Amino acid sequence: MENITLKSSPETPYFPEVNFDADTGICEISGESYMEETYKFYLPLITWIKQLIKNKNQKIDLVIKLIYLNTSSTKCILDMLEVLKDYQDQGGDVKVIWYYDTEDPDMVDEVEDFEVESGIKIELRKFEA
Amino acid sequence: MTNQATIDQDLFKRTLLSYRGPFYIELISVFGTNIKEYTKEYNNARRKLFRIFIELSQNVSYYSENFHMVNNIQRIGLGELELKEYETFFTFTTRNRVKKSDANILAERCKLVNQSDQFELRHLKREQRMNSPGEKFGARIGLIQAVMLSKNKLKYSIEKIDDNFSIFSITITVDKN
Repeated sequence: MENITLKSSPETPYFPEVNFDADTGICEISGESYMEETYKFYLPLITWIKQLIKNKNQKIDLVIKLIYLNTSSTKCILDMLEVLKDYQDQGGDVKVIWYYDTEDPDMVDEVEDFEVESGIKIELRKFEA
Repeated sequence: MTNQATIDQDLFKRTLLSYRGPFYIELISVFGTNIKEYTKEYNNARRKLFRIFIELSQNVSYYSENFHMVNNIQRIGLGELELKEYETFFTFTTRNRVKKSDANILAERCKLVNQSDQFELRHLKREQRMNSPGEKFGARIGLIQAVMLSKNKLKYSIEKIDDNFSIFSITITVDKN
């Protein structure tokens, strides 16, 4: 499987940076996410994760370092978490880590909501100062 | 919390941003950067204002009944926005054209949001996100999210244009501290 690498750009700050590694199973999304037609951006990422589960049945670490995501993006992230939850329920090894700024309580609330809605455990980690 | 009486009484300082036209993502992004810059003295309000601005601006972009078609594919809504600074808070307003038949639905949604406390809004947000059709319809929780972030009641109005359309206006208040 090919890795997915999408670099961020100052001209398009509404697209996050993406690094999905098929060898390690580490899938990282960082930056900001508020593009138009959000599902067009996230659908290939969700499809890639499904393919990784099908092909390799390996450990997957989803690492999220988003400092902002709009509500359309939250729906796509929730879809991604639900795919990982299904995998976990079938015995798959999954870890979800969410980095947050300690001065951003709204993001902590958002992560709590994701846990409730998807049923998957999310480990909160502080951004390094 | 800031109520309408406070808005009327508080000292207006200046208009930070005012725009009328198409809500392209490139433009929204530049305005977002400007908003972060204009409000950098107030770290908490700055973060909330940016997030509220994105949600409400994208609602105009997606749902305004006055719109441009780009290359016959992409629909870009037209509308207005205004960011004002008062002594103790900021207000952010969007205005856009809506179908007359949708105006009452929007007003009912605003009424429901204003009647709900933070706990109820959070529950409503979770419920609507889980049940939203997804894909191109998005999460449809932008308004709830904006009010949750501001922790103030929203102000809204509907002004009839003709038999088919109205102007729908929303103002969200964000306390400076």
